[in-house]
Amino acid sequence: MDFPFVKEAISQLFSKPSCAMYPAVESIAAPRYRGRIAFDPTKCINCGMCERVCCGGAITHTVEKTEEGDKITRSFDLGCCTFCAHCMDFCSTKAIQLTQDYHMIATKEEDLIVSGTFIKKPPVKKAVPPKPAAPAAAAAAPVGAAGPGGPQAEAPAPAAAPKPREDGKPVQDPNKCVYCTICAKKCPAGALTVDRAAKTWTLDEDACVACGTCAGVCPKKAIIM
Amino acid sequence: MIIDALKYLAYVLVFPGFLFCFLTGLLLCGIDRKLVARMQKRVGPPILQPFYDFFKLCGKETIVPAAANRTVFLIAPLVGLAGLVVLQLFIPVFSFSAFSNVADVIVILYLLLIPALSIIIGGASTGSPYAGVGLSREMVTVLSCELPLVLVLLAVGKKVGAATGTGLCFSLTEIVRYQMANGSLLWRLSMIPAAVAFLLVIPGETGSHPFDAAEAETEICEGMLAEYSGAPLGVYKLSHAVKLLTMTSLFVMLFLGGIGGRLEALVYALGLTGGAAGALVMLLSVLVLFLLCVLLTAVAISLVHAVTARLKIEQIFKYYWTVVAALALLSLALAWYGL
Amino acid sequence: MFKKLIEESTGKSPWLFHINAGSCNGCDIELVSVLTPRYDAERLGFKLAGSPRHADIVVVTGPITAQSLPRVLRSIEQVPEPRCIVTMGSCPQSGNVFRGSYSICGPLSKYVHVDVDVAGCTPKPEAVIDGLALATKILQEKRRAMK
Repeated sequence: MDFPFVKEAISQLFSKPSCAMYPAVESIAAPRYRGRIAFDPTKCINCGMCERVCCGGAITHTVEKTEEGDKITRSFDLGCCTFCAHCMDFCSTKAIQLTQDYHMIATKEEDLIVSGTFIKKPPVKKAVPPKPAAPAAAAAAPVGAAGPGGPQAEAPAPAAAPKPREDGKPVQDPNKCVYCTICAKKCPAGALTVDRAAKTWTLDEDACVACGTCAGVCPKKAIIM
Repeated sequence: MIIDALKYLAYVLVFPGFLFCFLTGLLLCGIDRKLVARMQKRVGPPILQPFYDFFKLCGKETIVPAAANRTVFLIAPLVGLAGLVVLQLFIPVFSFSAFSNVADVIVILYLLLIPALSIIIGGASTGSPYAGVGLSREMVTVLSCELPLVLVLLAVGKKVGAATGTGLCFSLTEIVRYQMANGSLLWRLSMIPAAVAFLLVIPGETGSHPFDAAEAETEICEGMLAEYSGAPLGVYKLSHAVKLLTMTSLFVMLFLGGIGGRLEALVYALGLTGGAAGALVMLLSVLVLFLLCVLLTAVAISLVHAVTARLKIEQIFKYYWTVVAALALLSLALAWYGL
Repeated sequence: MFKKLIEESTGKSPWLFHINAGSCNGCDIELVSVLTPRYDAERLGFKLAGSPRHADIVVVTGPITAQSLPRVLRSIEQVPEPRCIVTMGSCPQSGNVFRGSYSICGPLSKYVHVDVDVAGCTPKPEAVIDGLALATKILQEKRRAMK
């Protein structure tokens, strides 16, 4: 009979144990550990991409109509989350971050819900001529300052939704577009340029291959083919 | 008469009996767990952990399964513990022995079966299939250990008997007295195989690794204990702890009894006489016995636990009846030819 | 005094029983890793019991499949009082990615009172230790409330 670990066992008896003395010694998670979700409602533009990509269906939102606009509460149920970080990767405004915090202990289920509320202002009525002053005044009150104020500047202002083009290339519906830039990121030909600050959506006609990817990925269905 | 009765009551309840068994047994168990943990590079539980476990189990609800025989189910653990406490009374502490008898080795042999028997009866009364598998394995384990154990005791008895001229000596008191006069048996050439065999019997008899197929918690839900909860489970855990003390102190008395003689000589060399000397000898004896028990637990149980994996039941049987029995037989043969 | 002793001991020797209710094995491995030399929960008195009758804390992993539901409930009923139920990972709390499947009966809180939820997929061993420590405190309170 052979006992290869006798020497090991006896030598361990006289050396230091290899325990991480956890509750006494605080332990920090690895740098890119995916822990508790931190949601910044001021950055959210309510594109809904996070809800669509969530594997566990942990992300929900409720809409409440108020005078200032739609009051949107987005909540993340950590008790249902797989911590895959899809929502973080897809969020075009970096409103969702997975932190290194792993202490997610709860005695009640409500303790495991992370949520944030912001107000999304209604798009400026199409008949009304663009007024740059209006969103600036409104921005002071609600938390959702970065929320889209609707098309203001050089809006093409077609009364109804634009018609599909004959050559099969995409058209933007400025009433629906929230300028989340996902279409620009997904465009295989790099034909789309979206500027969030200036709220412009431009198509490079020569580069466009009319593949339809942008229309497919648009969370708001604001691209018409 | 009443004084005698009180004395025996004190023996049973306090010193070599219940209280002593309770404290030292659980302490030994705690030291064993700590040592195993340290050998595995862990910090390990506090040494008092078995006490916490025992008191916690006392505070738990006791569930009696519907299929079980209630009386047997509840009494079996107590019978096992009582058997062990009585057994401890027959094991002398060097020169001190609570009950001296001409043939207490035989009594010890019988009493050693009672805890195993109690656990088998208790397990069988639950009607659980896990207990059924466990008790059949426990029976095989007991059977495997019994042959080497008997051979070891025979070898020691023959050795001492040949030396004192009584043929076969079956009195543990006599064995210890002989050793105190003539030095420990462990240092005699013929007794070394027997001592090694006894060391190997200790883990089997106490049901610890790697011979714990009967109580394998990962395969058969701790076998006979599967249906036990609360205080009866605590009593079984206590019996297991007391068995550590019983087996190790039996080893000390069989093979290291000579240390008692050294202790007495030491105390008398200090110039003490009378009651003070007696008390000091007693105190030292208990202390030394406990330290030796710890040492033996560390070698025979903790180290073996830390470096081996659980054996199958037929491997246990084969191992004890070939390797260990051969060692004991060798010792017996050597003793027979007066070596 | 005896009662106090029992109460103290209850907080120092919680034995775990682990039920896998259709888990993907991630949480099971993390639970076992809590008992390895790296984290060594035994230094806090935790021990993995083999039978539900020996346990104080029941740790449930997995989304409670239809096959496992009656067994889970039966195992939990066999744990003697005071007992504490801990769900580990997202699955027993909500069903996680398996939610909506025809074979999932979760969440566990529909059937029994869950004392502690440890979220994560899977939780870090440190989080498991935290959750078990909280469960031990609840256990001690339950013991205090008994009798």
